[in-house]
Amino acid sequence: MSFKEQVSSMNMEAIVEMCIDQEQQAIDLYTMARDQAKDKSARQKFQELIDMETEHKVALKDFELERYLELPPADLKVTDYLMAPNTRENMTTQQILILAAKREGKTARMYQELADLFVQDKKLNTFFQMMADEELRHKHDLETEYENEFLQEG
Amino acid sequence: MKRERPQSFNTVPIKERLTIPRQDMPEQDALQRSTNFLEVNLGLNPEQAVIEAQRCIECKNPTCMDGCPVNIKIPDFIQLICNEDFLGAADKIKEDNSLPAVCGRVCPQETQCEEVCVVGKRFEAVAIGRLERFVADYAMIHGNGSTKVFDKPEPSGQKVAIVGSGPAGLAVASDLIKEGHEITVFEALHEFGGVLVYGIPEFRLPKAILREEVANLEAMGVKFVKNFIVGRTMTIQELMADEGFDAVFLGLGAGLPRFMNIPGENLNGVYSANEFLTRSNLMRGYEFPEWDTPLYRAKHAIIVGGGNTAMDAVRTAKRLGADEASIVYRRSEEEMPARNEEIHHAKEEGVAFLNLVNPIKFIGDEQGNVIAAECLRMELGEPDGSGRRRPIPMKGSEFTMKVDMVVIAVGNGSNPLIAQTTPEIETNKWGNIVADEDGKTSMEGVYAGGDIVSGGATVILAMGAGRKSAAAISEYLKSKVGSVV
Ligand SMILES: Cc1cc2nc3c(=O)[nH]c(=O)nc-3n(C[C@H](O)[C@H](O)[C@H](O)COP(=O)(O)OP(=O)(O)OC[C@H]3O[C@@H](n4cnc5c(N)ncnc54)[C@H](O)[C@@H]3O)c2cc1C
Ligand code: SF4
Repeated sequence: MSFKEQVSSMNMEAIVEMCIDQEQQAIDLYTMARDQAKDKSARQKFQELIDMETEHKVALKDFELERYLELPPADLKVTDYLMAPNTRENMTTQQILILAAKREGKTARMYQELADLFVQDKKLNTFFQMMADEELRHKHDLETEYENEFLQEG
Repeated sequence: MKRERPQSFNTVPIKERLTIPRQDMPEQDALQRSTNFLEVNLGLNPEQAVIEAQRCIECKNPTCMDGCPVNIKIPDFIQLICNEDFLGAADKIKEDNSLPAVCGRVCPQETQCEEVCVVGKRFEAVAIGRLERFVADYAMIHGNGSTKVFDKPEPSGQKVAIVGSGPAGLAVASDLIKEGHEITVFEALHEFGGVLVYGIPEFRLPKAILREEVANLEAMGVKFVKNFIVGRTMTIQELMADEGFDAVFLGLGAGLPRFMNIPGENLNGVYSANEFLTRSNLMRGYEFPEWDTPLYRAKHAIIVGGGNTAMDAVRTAKRLGADEASIVYRRSEEEMPARNEEIHHAKEEGVAFLNLVNPIKFIGDEQGNVIAAECLRMELGEPDGSGRRRPIPMKGSEFTMKVDMVVIAVGNGSNPLIAQTTPEIETNKWGNIVADEDGKTSMEGVYAGGDIVSGGATVILAMGAGRKSAAAISEYLKSKVGSVV
């Protein structure tokens, strides 16, 4: 069964479950990284990310439609050309932000591909588009934070 | 801020004052200065200073003072200049600012006092910065050290350690020594002054000024200890418990260079602005071969960034002999955080500006030396929350330029050493020390101020924060005596 057929055969509930699983994977990654981190400020940053993803997971469960109606902000592409860091114990806050923004970008692309795959299916298309937009919004927020802190150019 | 007007010594009738042109500060010729490290600005002469001071219209509501982060009594010192009492004017400034010769040179007056000067609404603002510099220099030459003879106070028997000798630390030292406390400044480097000596180049701020300020403080009794890294040589706990310091001030600055995290940043010839400027300034790379600090003389240097640090680095690269020294900046000139004067001087000296360009990769040869930079052009997108238009990469706009030196000047962070060795001190997620308005940290008796708390800011803000901490430390020490009695 192709991925498209697989997703088509799922009901909406199962699709939402799949997306929640995606969020959970991010939470697990950040939790592991937080527990490994030696630096206090790095631990703080990972905790913020865990909180953000948890909030997103809850929103998905409750399916807060109004949350998804807003158009996403422009993709700033601030971290697109930066090197992807590996998770390790002495990560800096700068690397954490790059890691997280890149991850949001990748997930957004995955949802966008799914949305494009189901252009004909209005319901699925809308759902995946909304998911892609939400991930882009996160990327935007993280990149704005990155810009403000690490590209002050002072 | 409404206030009593100071006594007027301005002999020019009020109506005529606005017809006096702003006095230009003489400067070294651009071509000549781009090959030497002597100071660019030469300062007003006494006649010019008096004429400039006479441009002040003695406002009832002197907005200039609100524009100054430490509220220097600007109208008062200007009137003293009109009266040719230059030493008196210097003393007046020193009531609020302990380093006027520094601030007169490096403060961004155009966005502070001069931006809100009433005359500036229609005409060019009164040149407050130039006047400040003039009287401070005059006092250095003609005055007696800090100009006022210092009456040694009764010793309090209490000891304060100041960590870091930047403007924040020096301001604390200057205020607390006057109260009779025993003050020791610990500095990691081998010269005192923080960024003022290792970052800002000689052509903008001569090191002799800092040496003189430090000598003044030493004469007042402040002890200076160099090559002493708190957190490594000795921890804060040891300073307090073993060495008997009653309070500690942390003025550590934001000296940790930040990189861009793009491929090729570890090639030879790619420096952080911090390393590049330190090599040139502190280790006298600019006096090679008299001083033995090897500094690569680039032919095609690019400096990434648009702040004062980038301008200092690019102008240094030019002076060290680069054929081409260029600024590469992601945004447009309007957004550059550097002072206008620095941008203007850099242009006069032949620096090229590549705005709306961002490097994405540095390319090296087989020996690992940088030989090229791959860049992207940027376009301005929608305005963000602050109203500034955001730069966004243009698809397919990649181009490569030949370079043999790159200096990264995108900003600085705080060094994690103290946070790591003193877990009692709370830091935020950027590694800055968390302190309240008065500089009080989460550790009893430990205060902090300047860039280590605010993140990279300005000299005057660091000094202002230092002075607030000094007042709070003074209260703390008094309460300690009270509780012992
Ligand atoms: C290149 C450059 C140009 C600038 N130009 C301007 C300008 O034109 N105008 C302006 O207003 N601002 C300018 N700034 C910013 C300004 O210099 C800073 O905001 C200011 O110096 C901060 O003062 P500070 O006392 O907090 O720290 P700093 O000046 O950074 O001093 C901190 C000192 O603490 C020492 N230190 C750190 N850790 C330890 C430790 N563990 N033990 C002992 N010592 C330690 C450091 O070695 C350093 O000497 C510039 C900055 C740079 C880098
Ligand atoms: S605002 Fe300008 S004109 Fe008015 S008192 Fe201040 S310096 Fe003088």
